[in-house]
Amino acid sequence: MTNISLADQLDDAIEMMIAEPDSAPPRVDLKIGELLGIAAELRLFPDPAFRAALKAKLLGQSAVTTTPTMVERKPARNAEEAMLPTLFGAGYGNYPVRRGNFAISLAVHAALLAMVAASGLWLPDGAEVRPQVISILRTESSPILVSSPPGNSGGGGEHEKLPDSKGSLPRFTRQQLTPPTIVVPRETPKLAVDMTLLGPPELSETQTSQAGNPLSEIIGPPSNGTGKGGGIGSGRGGGIGGGTGAYRVGGGVSAPIAIFDPDPEYSDEARQAKYQGTVVLWVVVGTDGRPREIRVQRSLGMGLDEKAVAAVRGWKFRPGMKDGVPVAVQVNIEVVFQLL
Amino acid sequence: MKALEDKNLRNPNDERLQVEAARQDPARFGELYENNFERVYAYLARRARDRDEAQDLTSEVFQQALAGLPRYQWRGLPFIAWLLGIAANVLADCWRRAGRLQEVMTDDLEQMGIEEDVEQKAMLYELVDSLPADQRQVILWRFVGQKSLREMATELGRSEGAIKQLQLRALQNLRERMS
Repeated sequence: MTNISLADQLDDAIEMMIAEPDSAPPRVDLKIGELLGIAAELRLFPDPAFRAALKAKLLGQSAVTTTPTMVERKPARNAEEAMLPTLFGAGYGNYPVRRGNFAISLAVHAALLAMVAASGLWLPDGAEVRPQVISILRTESSPILVSSPPGNSGGGGEHEKLPDSKGSLPRFTRQQLTPPTIVVPRETPKLAVDMTLLGPPELSETQTSQAGNPLSEIIGPPSNGTGKGGGIGSGRGGGIGGGTGAYRVGGGVSAPIAIFDPDPEYSDEARQAKYQGTVVLWVVVGTDGRPREIRVQRSLGMGLDEKAVAAVRGWKFRPGMKDGVPVAVQVNIEVVFQLL
Repeated sequence: MKALEDKNLRNPNDERLQVEAARQDPARFGELYENNFERVYAYLARRARDRDEAQDLTSEVFQQALAGLPRYQWRGLPFIAWLLGIAANVLADCWRRAGRLQEVMTDDLEQMGIEEDVEQKAMLYELVDSLPADQRQVILWRFVGQKSLREMATELGRSEGAIKQLQLRALQNLRERMS
């Protein structure tokens, strides 16, 4: 009989013995019979996992039973034992003292504390203070700011030496083509357009006299005023009176929205001095979405004001709107200079 | 093999010292457990219905032995005799609970030592540990894990025919070592 057929025959017999342990042993070759007898003895071979688990259980039980007798507490003989029983004495009674472990634990804790303390002094090479600048567009009025000129229609003037003269208001229109003027240029226009004020047409009253500033106390000689930008008055813009001709946000006037607002740079002087703070700018955003007028409301110095103004001058806005028409709106911009 | 022979031909004085050490420090009971496990298990396995019952009884015997060790008195008999006395009592209790009445000759065990076939079986269990690793693994899977040939072949990455050959060689090895 070959080894292969022996192996097959033995395996078949073992298979049958495992499947039906109480049945009579199969009739097999004598050589197979001896091996099958050994296999029958191995049928209840102890599970090695059981053997290991039982040993662990017994040793665990023995540890529990021996604990009270193995460790005997002794009264502290001196102050060190009383204060540090784990190091100098007999421990706390439940487990034997291992002074080596205590020393290792103490050393590790001391090293960790030292590392924590030293971490505040350590700075990697090449690390530098990183400047950060944050710009915030403020559309609500801020109590810290000097109030900007009131009104929404100011402006005017032709840089004349005399203040604007008294007169009545021209009519209001939604769209202003020609600003009001008292002193009409000499040349005759080819296409004459009536002077108007920007505003709701229903506010218009009948113009009874020459155009002028109704609040002016100067009756003559006629003057467009000391302002600039067309119009009549001492301010700027195409209206009548003082002021800038820019609306405040609210009351139907929407805030301009910054659509291109790169942050200012930090000035070298301020960075070296580690100088931080906030610059507040008062800005009139024109109907074209460009900052028309910029004033520093709160200054920081050290070149940071200039950096803030230079940056905001390049900003681009979606202009504020009133009744669906773009209007100039005054806003405050806070530029926060920080060093991290 | 030499370790096995040393284990079976222990000097009684050594065993007595082990017992004394375990009585002083029960953590040393592990040595007595290792030296006597196979024979206690073989004794119980010969009489138990299946492996689970044999293992439960073995566990009970060694736990009682550990608990009773402080009361143990050396009377010139091998320690295994005392263990098998406990085993006989445990077995009797088990059968009584199960309604199986069968006489267990505890006194004879203590006086005469171990039955020969128990000794043979214990030796066989010890010899399995001395087999080459792959043959031992096949024996464990076949008789303890009761895995099929296909499962064993897959686990070892061999053919079913190769597994049969390993099984054959393992049993032949055991037969030679027993003789």
